[in-house]
Amino acid sequence: MFSDEEISVFLDELEEKIQIINENILLLEREGESREALQEIFRAAHTIKGSSGVMGYEKMASLTHEMENLFDQMRKGMLPLTGKLVDTLLTALDSLQALRDEIVGKDVPVDVGQVVADLRQCQETLPAASAGAGTKEEAGSPATVAIDLEEVDYEVIQEAELRGYQAYKISVELDPGTQMKSVRAFLVFETLQQIGEVIKSVPSAEDIQEGRFDNGFRLVLLTVEDRERVSNTLMNISEVAAVEIERVVPAGDTGMAAPEWEQESRAAEKAKPGSASKPEPAGVKTIQTVRVDVERLDNLMNLVGELVIDRTRLNRFAELFEGHSAGGSSEMVDNLFEISEHLGQVTGDLQEQIMKARMLPVARVFNRFPRMVRDLAHKMGKEINFIVEGHETELDRNVIEIIGDPLIHLIRNAVDHGIEAPEIRTKLGKPKMGVVKLRASYLENYINITVQDDGRGLDPERLRAKAVEKGLLDQGAAVRMADREALDLVFMAGFSTAAEVSDLSGRGVGMDVVRNKIESINGMIDIASAPGEGTTFTIRLPLTLAIIQALMVELGGEQFALPLTNVVETISIERGAIQKIKHSEVTLVRGRILPLVRLSAVFEREAFRSEEDHVFVVVLGVGEKKFGVIVDKLLGELEIVIKSLGDYLGKVPCISGATILGDGQVALIVDVRSLVKEIGIEETVYAAG
Amino acid sequence: MVVFQLAQQTYGIDIASVFEIIRMEKITKVPRTPDFVEGVINLRGKIIPVIDLCKRFGLDYTEATNSSRIIIVDVDGNTIGMIVDAVSEVLSVPAESIEPPPSMIHGIDAAYLKGIAILEGRLIILLNLGKIFHDHEINEIEELTVETA
Repeated sequence: MFSDEEISVFLDELEEKIQIINENILLLEREGESREALQEIFRAAHTIKGSSGVMGYEKMASLTHEMENLFDQMRKGMLPLTGKLVDTLLTALDSLQALRDEIVGKDVPVDVGQVVADLRQCQETLPAASAGAGTKEEAGSPATVAIDLEEVDYEVIQEAELRGYQAYKISVELDPGTQMKSVRAFLVFETLQQIGEVIKSVPSAEDIQEGRFDNGFRLVLLTVEDRERVSNTLMNISEVAAVEIERVVPAGDTGMAAPEWEQESRAAEKAKPGSASKPEPAGVKTIQTVRVDVERLDNLMNLVGELVIDRTRLNRFAELFEGHSAGGSSEMVDNLFEISEHLGQVTGDLQEQIMKARMLPVARVFNRFPRMVRDLAHKMGKEINFIVEGHETELDRNVIEIIGDPLIHLIRNAVDHGIEAPEIRTKLGKPKMGVVKLRASYLENYINITVQDDGRGLDPERLRAKAVEKGLLDQGAAVRMADREALDLVFMAGFSTAAEVSDLSGRGVGMDVVRNKIESINGMIDIASAPGEGTTFTIRLPLTLAIIQALMVELGGEQFALPLTNVVETISIERGAIQKIKHSEVTLVRGRILPLVRLSAVFEREAFRSEEDHVFVVVLGVGEKKFGVIVDKLLGELEIVIKSLGDYLGKVPCISGATILGDGQVALIVDVRSLVKEIGIEETVYAAG
Repeated sequence: MVVFQLAQQTYGIDIASVFEIIRMEKITKVPRTPDFVEGVINLRGKIIPVIDLCKRFGLDYTEATNSSRIIIVDVDGNTIGMIVDAVSEVLSVPAESIEPPPSMIHGIDAAYLKGIAILEGRLIILLNLGKIFHDHEINEIEELTVETA
């Protein structure tokens, strides 16, 4: 059996290859036949076939085998690219993905029978003469060296050729008078192993080395050396009487065609590492990586965190030292500060580098969208130009994992509800082809992802009416609501603007889920829209989840961290300004009612009774909900590393984790979102003002 | 076997599950956790929950003194600290001197006990750590607090 690690490497590779095939098929469909793209696809399919075969995933191997055959024929120009062919290939690709999920154990067993049959059928539409040319046919040239190669051997050979190897059939005759034929044979093997790889021999290698053969034996060698060199090398072995060498022509490739394609594949392979010399099809970028367990990176991050703490302690010590040795040894103190300073810089850089190592280009997620948009557009009879920008923008791995679903939802919405049908667009004087644009870019310490369409846009008036109709809003509030606010209604739970639930969007998950997901990773989502001109969703995400900016506050003698993404502002109000509505405390901020929460009550902590007339209030916001928390002291902003409280404590209400402060103390991080749920602040309370 | 004192009694736990023993330090309280959870500490960059064994067993609470220690243990892969009054020694206890626990001893449910060791006339209560830190219980208690809140 294979270890988990091997399987995971295989799966990663598989994912990468599926992606390559996917992109290139779409490229083919869009831009017509391209040798480059076909070559890529063929290689990817071939790799999957090989490795899945080795790993024992039979279904996958047989599926990719059929796919490879098809690609092979397309590559040789024997099979024209048709819409039907593309569809079949894409379906096959889906099955491949399903098979992958099956390995991961995510899915029910997959039956590939139908797909394989479809693929075969595609091949059978070929002219009879070239049918089955793929692998079954023996090498065309008459075999002077008699050694039968089976299909598997050809596969190995083909694979080796992709790596720039040549296959030779070699027949070795030993001197009939030799006394030590097994030793001579062994020498032949040894020598050949030095310049290449013996993949087959007749009789078997074991038999040969034990002398169970007549005077001669035959073998197949993979090498980068040319025929001359191989021959000379072998003839140098004493008592080798004759050597005959013949180049193996890969199955299916006959005559002139063979060297040509072989050269090309070599060139392509060589160009790969540099990638600059090879004109890559647009949008195709193979990610070259060293695979590292994320846990290792986390450990590294923890270690750096400790370094940071030690550095702060060193600084503190230096200050103490300075205080003690007034005057005297200022040079030592300076040195100490200098060291601490440098240490701080290095740890800072280290932290940044490790963070970068955790980052992945958003291409990881973005790459699957073109296919999705294509399918959707086909299904709905819409014409859509899907533009993707900023693939290379990097995001933390965890963020990438979470952002996929919300984006799918937004893009589906854009295609389904946003872009109008072609005939309507023409009538409106818009270009027939709608544009959906997905774009990622950096903005300070954040990353912005926008999903933009030039479709029908959102009508605030309709949104208001809809909200009232669904009982989410009363008439009065709806009228008072600004257009800008009305747009935000789409994020409310239970709000869906599509009149009918279509198969594509609105499968019960609404925009509120999208917003929740994004906010769960400290992100924000914003909407802008003009009726008739389109809609733009802007998602702002933190670069990483491991480190956040936080506002440190003191409460009952202990420090708490409030994520800065949730902090709207801090204000200082007079004690007298706190009023009571029913049982809850509120205050007026710029004419609006702000509900107040005493963290000490939520955390069942003794309140710190200050005698001062002013209390500090931190205004927090989650989505549209805003409220103020009363704290004892504001301590300032800090960049903190989030650590979990561990499994034993499990989920603690209103606490999302802890962080270690410069002095080694632990401060808890307030989970503002769960705090909102906990105290049940309703949007309406705020809106009522 | 690590032997420690708790509310004037002598207890023992398997040394294999003990990572280390540290002095009392400032413990950051975590709100809305069961009351026997004292809070969390920073153990070389890791956040470790600390529980008060006295409170866990409902024993008489003793003030932290200079001899109070936090024993850091590993329980089913979780690293947890527990506060004890004092750590006295490391002993090896022959298996034959361990007897099954009576149903109730010093107010502690027998489920939490592995047995009683009698060694040179001393009574050492052997604790069953896995049971004491059973996850389900923590979650149940937590759910209760949420519901009543």
